[in-house]
Amino acid sequence: MNAIWLVALPLLGAFLLPIIYRRSTMLGYWTGPFILLVNLAIAFEIWRSITPEQGPHSIAMGGFKAPLGIVFYVDKLALLFIIMVVLGTLILWLGNKIGKIREETLLLLIVGGSCGLALSGDLFNIYVFYEIVAVASYGLAASRGTGAGYAASLRFLILSALGSSLLLLGIALIYAVTGTLNLSHLAELAPEHLNNTVGLVAFALMLIGLGVKAELFPINTWVPEVYATAPPRVSALLGGIISKLALLVILRFLVLIYADNTEAHLLLLNLGILGVISGELAALRATDLRQVLAYSSIAQLGLVAIAFAIPGPAGIMAGTALALHHAIVKPALFMFIEAWGGQLSRLAGAAKVSMLNSILFLVLTLSLVGIPPLPGFWAKLLLLKGALALENSWYIFAIAIVLIATVIETAYFIRIARLMFQHDKPEKPVSALESRELAPALALLGLLLFSALAVGPIGKSLTAVASEAADKNVYIEHTSPVFHESFKSSTKP
Amino acid sequence: MTIEETAWIYILSYSGALGLILLGIIGMVISRHLIRIILGLMLLEAGVNLFLITIGYRANGVAPILVDGQVPAAIMVDPIPQALVLTAIVIGVAVQALALALVVKTYKAYGTLDTQELAEKIAQESGTRIVDGIPVSLPVPATRQLVEEKSA
Repeated sequence: MNAIWLVALPLLGAFLLPIIYRRSTMLGYWTGPFILLVNLAIAFEIWRSITPEQGPHSIAMGGFKAPLGIVFYVDKLALLFIIMVVLGTLILWLGNKIGKIREETLLLLIVGGSCGLALSGDLFNIYVFYEIVAVASYGLAASRGTGAGYAASLRFLILSALGSSLLLLGIALIYAVTGTLNLSHLAELAPEHLNNTVGLVAFALMLIGLGVKAELFPINTWVPEVYATAPPRVSALLGGIISKLALLVILRFLVLIYADNTEAHLLLLNLGILGVISGELAALRATDLRQVLAYSSIAQLGLVAIAFAIPGPAGIMAGTALALHHAIVKPALFMFIEAWGGQLSRLAGAAKVSMLNSILFLVLTLSLVGIPPLPGFWAKLLLLKGALALENSWYIFAIAIVLIATVIETAYFIRIARLMFQHDKPEKPVSALESRELAPALALLGLLLFSALAVGPIGKSLTAVASEAADKNVYIEHTSPVFHESFKSSTKP
Repeated sequence: MTIEETAWIYILSYSGALGLILLGIIGMVISRHLIRIILGLMLLEAGVNLFLITIGYRANGVAPILVDGQVPAAIMVDPIPQALVLTAIVIGVAVQALALALVVKTYKAYGTLDTQELAEKIAQESGTRIVDGIPVSLPVPATRQLVEEKSA
């Protein structure tokens, strides 16, 4: 199967959905999950077709070869993130109310845009897909239809539009210096043309642009506001899943264009460290479950940023593991905020109301903190191992910060757990979760426990994915055969 | 045109782009009125577009159009930035329209376009208060007291 369908099907579905809904509501309701299921099947099929001998492949749009045409690069890392997005959206679809045409249209748009973001091998194409994802997420953020929701979405829009203008400026700078937008062509030209101040400025601009979605340190002020007002499913999707795609694009830039640029790596590392500290401290101070989860999501994405800032396969592996783990746990936790949101003190004695919900919450938070048998521990261990192997003082500092942050994280989650379990007379007891919110949470918990059992095989395949993605020569080789030749001849002497 | 004359085009155009970008960002940061913030955003986008167009400009260049399958004899300007700007303008218009629609909705809900008043009204509505510009849930010490009582 052609990887184009991964992008084309959800986009087509998004535009056809209102028409299908006019014919029949039930047919419309099942169109979205059906498209996502087909997408998932295609993604697995392509995943299976990428064998170690054959390696990744690329698709030239309309038959125009790189660097003039737009190229999609299909490798296991991109497919892994696509499977994460599609499967995550599918699980969040469980128990969705019938007849929400607008939300479903935007969800399909966001899935199509994210798949394009993961696959695209062209800078400007990345900008266009980023804007598709961004515009769809403004709509989703406001989809509750309250005044506060509109205001939060507007602030999100203003910040995000500022970011994407700066992203475009960074892309323009790169084009001005190199005269190309193709990532593999850039990978070849970068050591010569972009390993200087202009290249670093372009990277910083693009980092700010993509950082809005990736909840990086200075540009994440929209996070607590949007997650406090948006429906839980939207918070789960934006915070848990879509934010990782922006980090994937940053990783691609680092691997392909800024592989030799230490300053670029340190820039991302520092933003990650600041994100972890500020997120965890804010979560410690927050008194509202929604805010605790929002700030903790900022901190977790900071961890992923730290991991991606580690050069080489070890960093990619740790970052991917952290991203996937967070994409399972955080959406499940966001399912709780509809019933349990508001003051933390409301949670007193929640275990008496529903033991199942409390234990579910506890297991998810323990995995987030990183308690050994759960997958969160392995992800954090990979990060620590990767950073320690570098023997660079900045990375050692990052490890210290990560460990301190873990202590803070444990403190505030244990505080919530004590409220839930140690208090026996709830004054204003919270209600138990409705089944339509419990269903996605349980499905995600099942996925988490399954990955806890299958840590060995998952680790093995992640190693393969990371070593393939960390080699920029593989990328160049499989996207532009013409430049591949010139690259070989230029590196041989 | 001579080289000196075309150099001025570059200087003016690049400084114009840089000026628009800075003006846009400053406008977005210092104004409290939502419409002005969106106007700042428009200036910023215009600046970025002008920057892109200037990259593609070649002195004494002609439009990159093949006539009868013949490449024009003169230098052509770079067509790629023009294609990019066209896309960027369309995206920009769509985002601005969406922003204005959200402004209308926000104004209908709260009756103000001032960001500070808006933040206060939203905080009142959701039972939080603004401390140092950050919304904080009321009452702050309640949870801690509860926890301390439990542990005691």
